[in-house]
Amino acid sequence: MKVLVPVKRVIDYNVKIRVKPDGSGVETQNVKMSMNPFDEISIEEAVRMKEKGVAEEVIAVSMGPQQCQETLRTALAMGADRGIHVKTDDVLEPLAVAKMLKAIAEKEQPQMIIVGKQAIDDDCNQTGQMTAALLGWSQATFASVIELGEGTAKVTREIDGGLETVDIKLPAVVTSDLRLNEPRYASLPNIMKAKKKPIEEMDPASLGVDTTPRVKTLKVSEPPKRQGGVKVESVQELVSKLVNEAKVI
Amino acid sequence: MDLTLSDEQKMIVDMVRRFVREQIVPLEDKLDPDADELPPEDLQRLSKITQDMGLYGLDTPPEYGGPDIDLVTRALISFEMSQHRAGLYAPCYGAFGGARQAQLFEATEEQKEKYLYPMLRGEKKVFFGLSEPSGGSDPARAIQTRAVRDGDEWVINGSKLWISGADRADYGLVFARTDPSKGRGGVTCFIVETNWPGFHVRRVVHTLRSSRYATELQFENLRVPHANILGEEGGGFSIANDRLTRQRIPYAGECVGVAIKAHEMAVEYAKIRETFGAPLASRQGIQWMLVENEIDIRTARWLVLEAASKADNGEPFRTESAFAKLVAAEASFRVVDRSMQIHGALGVAKDLPLERWFREMRIRRIGEGPSEVQKHVIARDILGQSLR
Repeated sequence: MKVLVPVKRVIDYNVKIRVKPDGSGVETQNVKMSMNPFDEISIEEAVRMKEKGVAEEVIAVSMGPQQCQETLRTALAMGADRGIHVKTDDVLEPLAVAKMLKAIAEKEQPQMIIVGKQAIDDDCNQTGQMTAALLGWSQATFASVIELGEGTAKVTREIDGGLETVDIKLPAVVTSDLRLNEPRYASLPNIMKAKKKPIEEMDPASLGVDTTPRVKTLKVSEPPKRQGGVKVESVQELVSKLVNEAKVI
Repeated sequence: MDLTLSDEQKMIVDMVRRFVREQIVPLEDKLDPDADELPPEDLQRLSKITQDMGLYGLDTPPEYGGPDIDLVTRALISFEMSQHRAGLYAPCYGAFGGARQAQLFEATEEQKEKYLYPMLRGEKKVFFGLSEPSGGSDPARAIQTRAVRDGDEWVINGSKLWISGADRADYGLVFARTDPSKGRGGVTCFIVETNWPGFHVRRVVHTLRSSRYATELQFENLRVPHANILGEEGGGFSIANDRLTRQRIPYAGECVGVAIKAHEMAVEYAKIRETFGAPLASRQGIQWMLVENEIDIRTARWLVLEAASKADNGEPFRTESAFAKLVAAEASFRVVDRSMQIHGALGVAKDLPLERWFREMRIRRIGEGPSEVQKHVIARDILGQSLR
């Protein structure tokens, strides 16, 4: 089977995010970018499926500007077989990404799409679910274990109350959670091989998708600075503050 | 000269940076601030990762199983792998393997079996015995240790100083004078096993580098088989010169890596530390220190890459490598010093790695050829070889 894995280029998790002075967004100039960590987990899972012989081909997809090819090369160096780059300088919202993934999935016919549960830049946590809905496929979100059967998959999901196991029919969209696996480091031989692996370029129009944003960003601002704590004298004072000032009880 | 990184180089740099950040730095939080070794199980686990990366044995030539990378890439890796507390003298605590004694690659097949391969496999430890109490930078003249032939053996008498790891080594290279009538051409390199009679570690010499000491060695009628001569008799200094010049480049690169990290810490700290109601970063005095750090790092980084690039292109790079070593050690020392100053009292505390880098970086200006010897090499290039 084929496995499709979208990989997003995001600000590296180690970078301290700075808001642009005009409040229009966050600073991305001269900022280190990397693959979204949840997408690395997805790639790792797909590559392991291939190593076990249950997947034949792993295709990485990235959408965005030219530099997304670096992210794709990283996926290829981790073991993906080929890349698809949907090249655009537009701002992409989850719905647009999901529509493009649907178009690619219809063309490539993968049995599974493994999507990171969220991207660490906008933390939307929507793309996987939307893609499944648009395709009419089964979905299993927040996966910590994926076991493949005959045309089915058993997925352990991380939910608030603990773990939930679901059986789903393939084709399916699975979103990966942190504990699904520990992604490997790329290796020198695979980095060298990655150069020769193909990356196909396309654009949103060729996929028939209108990427016009539906959400308007009014203002981006830093979270308010934390205020210092207060020491209370008695339980009465604590309760009164919780009721009257914090208004939490 | 175009030193734009290729996509592959960017990925390799990324991979090593992540390895340091995710594997080394968290471990270091639990280690003694002066530690330069990991518990064996950790080292084994990390070496397995670097093997999977295909980067184990960074300084081992590909024909002996090392990774096939050029010197520019090796330099880029050295900028990354030193960015942690022990990074200057124990980059990644040896998880990338080591091939310390480049001369052994020039050994005979028989010697390789006995001495090179066990070292490459990490089974045996090897020391390098060149410097003597009479000096180390001008060994051709300073070497007084004598080797006299007796049938199929040589009898060595004399002493060595500032030798690292000889007390824990299984064997090592000892340079001794075999012909007193000749200067450079009268010195021979011997492979000496540390358990042979007449080999003594006379004392341990503590230095600024509190994690590791040096030793003083004494040879008393130490008998070495003729077959243990490395290279030619009288050719002690002509072995592996090219390899040794190459080694100087990652050595310089490690200095730059530490400087990059120290500077990064200084920039962060200057922005958050407030004095008299404003962040340090708003003070011009501090800003200029940060700018000077940046100049030092950029200069050193460029010179290291230039030397590596010349070597990769097959051009002479002896002078360039001297520049790289000289500037990297001196500039990185200044960067660590300024970064420490910006941190104030915190800078000298063992809570941060700065104090260790400061002590160890001081040694870098002396080790692997002191700055003055590098200048001597450069001066010879400017003024001609005949210069004394």
